[in-house]
Amino acid sequence: MKKYIYLLIIISSSFSAFAQTRVSGVIKTSNGKTIPGVNITLVNTYDGASTDTSGHFAFTTTETGAHVLHYVTVGFKPDSVAVNLNGKPLNLSLTIKEAVSELNAVTITAGTIETGDAKKGAVLSSIDIATTAGAVADIVAALQTLPGTSQAFSENGLFVRGGSGAETRTYFDGMLVKSPFSSQLPDISSRSRFSPFLFKGTTFSSGGYSAQYGQALSSALILESKDLPEKTSTEFSILTVGFGAAHTERFANSSLTVGGIYYNLHPTYSVFKQNIHWDQAPIDKTGNIQYKWKPTKSSMLKVFSQYSNNDVSLFTDNPDSAGVIHVIDHNKNTYTNITYQDNFNPDWRIQAGASYGNTHESGKLDSNNFRKNDHLLQGRFTLTRYLGQRSLLRAGAEAYQNGALEGWNNQSRSFDDNMQAAFTEGEVFLGDNVVMRLGGRAEHSSYLADWNLAPRTSLAVKTGTHSQVSMAYGIFYQNPDDTYLLQSHQLGYEKATHYLLNYQYLTSGLTFRVEAFYKQYADLTKYDYDGFPKTYAVNNYSNLYNGGDGYAKGIDVFWRDKQSIPGGDYYISYSYLDTKRDFRNYPIQATPPFAAKHTLNIVYKQYIPVIKSELSTAYAFSSGRTYYNPNNPDFLSDRTKAYNNLSMNLSYLTRFFKQFAVVYVSVNNIPGFNNIYGYNYPSNGSTREPVYPAAKRNYLFGLLVTIGDNTFNH
Amino acid sequence: MKTLKLCIALLIITFSVKAQSADKYTAAMQKGMTLVDSASTAEQFTTAANFFERVATAETKQWLPQYYAGYCILHATILGKQDNETKDASYDKAMSYVEKAEALKPANSEVLVLEGYITFMKMSVFSQQRAMTMIPKANALLEKALVIDPENPRAFLVKGQNTFYTPESFGGGKAKAKEILTTAADKYKNQKASGFEPAWGARRCQVLLQQCN
Repeated sequence: MKKYIYLLIIISSSFSAFAQTRVSGVIKTSNGKTIPGVNITLVNTYDGASTDTSGHFAFTTTETGAHVLHYVTVGFKPDSVAVNLNGKPLNLSLTIKEAVSELNAVTITAGTIETGDAKKGAVLSSIDIATTAGAVADIVAALQTLPGTSQAFSENGLFVRGGSGAETRTYFDGMLVKSPFSSQLPDISSRSRFSPFLFKGTTFSSGGYSAQYGQALSSALILESKDLPEKTSTEFSILTVGFGAAHTERFANSSLTVGGIYYNLHPTYSVFKQNIHWDQAPIDKTGNIQYKWKPTKSSMLKVFSQYSNNDVSLFTDNPDSAGVIHVIDHNKNTYTNITYQDNFNPDWRIQAGASYGNTHESGKLDSNNFRKNDHLLQGRFTLTRYLGQRSLLRAGAEAYQNGALEGWNNQSRSFDDNMQAAFTEGEVFLGDNVVMRLGGRAEHSSYLADWNLAPRTSLAVKTGTHSQVSMAYGIFYQNPDDTYLLQSHQLGYEKATHYLLNYQYLTSGLTFRVEAFYKQYADLTKYDYDGFPKTYAVNNYSNLYNGGDGYAKGIDVFWRDKQSIPGGDYYISYSYLDTKRDFRNYPIQATPPFAAKHTLNIVYKQYIPVIKSELSTAYAFSSGRTYYNPNNPDFLSDRTKAYNNLSMNLSYLTRFFKQFAVVYVSVNNIPGFNNIYGYNYPSNGSTREPVYPAAKRNYLFGLLVTIGDNTFNH
Repeated sequence: MKTLKLCIALLIITFSVKAQSADKYTAAMQKGMTLVDSASTAEQFTTAANFFERVATAETKQWLPQYYAGYCILHATILGKQDNETKDASYDKAMSYVEKAEALKPANSEVLVLEGYITFMKMSVFSQQRAMTMIPKANALLEKALVIDPENPRAFLVKGQNTFYTPESFGGGKAKAKEILTTAADKYKNQKASGFEPAWGARRCQVLLQQCN
């Protein structure tokens, strides 16, 4: 009897192999479009088929009972349907939905311009930043070609939507950088301290940024450093202004880069005519070390440490004595940044960091000695919880130890501030077409003896496959400048409120953005001072208080086309700005000198295969800026003539002793426009002295060579 | 005695089921290889890719279906006429399969070659933004493949092919490519691939070599 049972088992099990079901059907989108190449799978079996050009599929299976039929193809959402296989042919009519790709996904774009290599929506790549004509590989100069910025002219910083240079803050891997520029010299701006080659991405936010970023009234410049380099390599650069070298050693899971540069502008300045009377042209020495360690696939430790030393000496006009002032300036800066991040679980991510920056500036104004020191120690911890596919919750805490010292001959004054901050925000997708960010930030400063609470929110709504509308609102607080804090301990936070409305159209070849903004300032620092204060060395102000206010409103437009010209790429950015503010020692609300009404930039890059070169051309226009004229009873109502600049650079890619090399030629202000930045008056207003650019035209030649790799890490 | 008989019978059944499933896998791979070998259009590679994806999804412990799923998606995408965004997403999908293959078969020269191939093709979608970082990345993967197996003809083929399509000023060019492809052609003569192990590329190598002249 048992024998039969075994036999029965064997027969029935082999018999099942003959019970076939034919499954066939068609797959369409909800609009009835058929999709070829869709993969149809009977889950947990090999059985299935692909749709043909008419969207039809058919297969037979020996499986029986309840099963799941899964169907998927690139660009569409995977989907499935339950089927019952019982030998009867099945004919299915299935629909497939378009998936949300990174490019056409709804994202918060109000106020934010991303640059970098990883993100597809990025406006500029890191190469773009390094090769923008006229910017000579200065990140800040390259960003001045983007909408929302004004030409910096003779002051340090990035001037965004009517904000002063101090209102834009730089964040290096999330950590606030206190002194991203070298010393402010009389009527001369200095370069940003960080090389664009250090970063894989830069997010430039002209307003409405996330609660993660504090202490910035107008703008956040978010720099994200590169990951592990691929290979061991050595690079050299020889420029008309100096030379640099760096070596990168790649280990199994880590890398170490050591590099240095030496720039001396004396030879160039002695050949090309200067408007500045240099006693000693700037000499910059910079050394840095980068260590990167990737202990696991999901984690990364980055250490960056840089020391820079800048020396300069020059004569500047003294309008009051018809003589000159001899200015000597030494600036030493150290900056160290250590960050660690780990996606230790698909749902969680931690980021921790510590940074320390310290600047010692010392010098002389004729026979008077001055010094200015500052430091910032920061610790930061952020925890992110991912919810579902794209939504997230983020919370973090920061602690700062911030201080400065200012000295004039034998006198000095200083302050120290301990600040704590906490922030939290959520980014929630409501369906595929709406994303909302809601968050807030709280800060406490021991020196200001006060709290602040800054709510921030943004919303983006998709209006088409490639277009979306987004808006942002937020309150932003910033401590008054060190100069003011050194002279008063009764100041409070300065405040700005942003309202943004943005429209974006984005495909892989075209970008069009238009953004309207309104920004309201309150509690700006005011003081009493005769005349128009200099921005360099040490000034004494009296009666400091938070009585200032102002507004900025305008429209920014950006258009980039990477597809119409073979090997070519251009973008146009235009900013309209209407702003007035009452701050510093302004008697009334007035348009400050750093805010031009119209700013236009056109940047065009073309790769020319015949000469193996990339030619980059940049044209910049800025309508006249205001200047202080003591003879005019209407404060800041005089305007300079408009500013024009046309720059070009040519990068010739070649081999030099069999190694990858770039020969670089850059010329600034080719047509020789006579630009005037403003005028300096003596206090009695009897004469005036125009402020010219440091040189009418700048030239730079260079050779960059990399040994062992085709990329630059330094 | 009866218990013993029962045990033996059960054992036979289990064994035959197992053998059946092993046969099923071999048969499927056989079918898949026929599909790849006869594929020359994007549609045919998609059909082969879809087939290997089904096998790969069911056989999560076998590296070859993952490898061939990645290989076929790569070729379907190279030959296809999709827009850049879709191509980019397809290369990511190909890479995700090869990464699964790598997890199952770590430090394998063939897997690294395929990763280098996909990385280069992904670079080409947005070459202006990606050339600077992704060409070195692709080359580093191929170098790693050659360290593990200096005789792998496909490592030379893909390296030569990448060099062929890289402008001279970036360290590429036909002259340099020819040198590497000639080495590849030599290595193809001696290649020993058993079973379903990767053996592709000899014909492609000859086509490229002719274009070098």
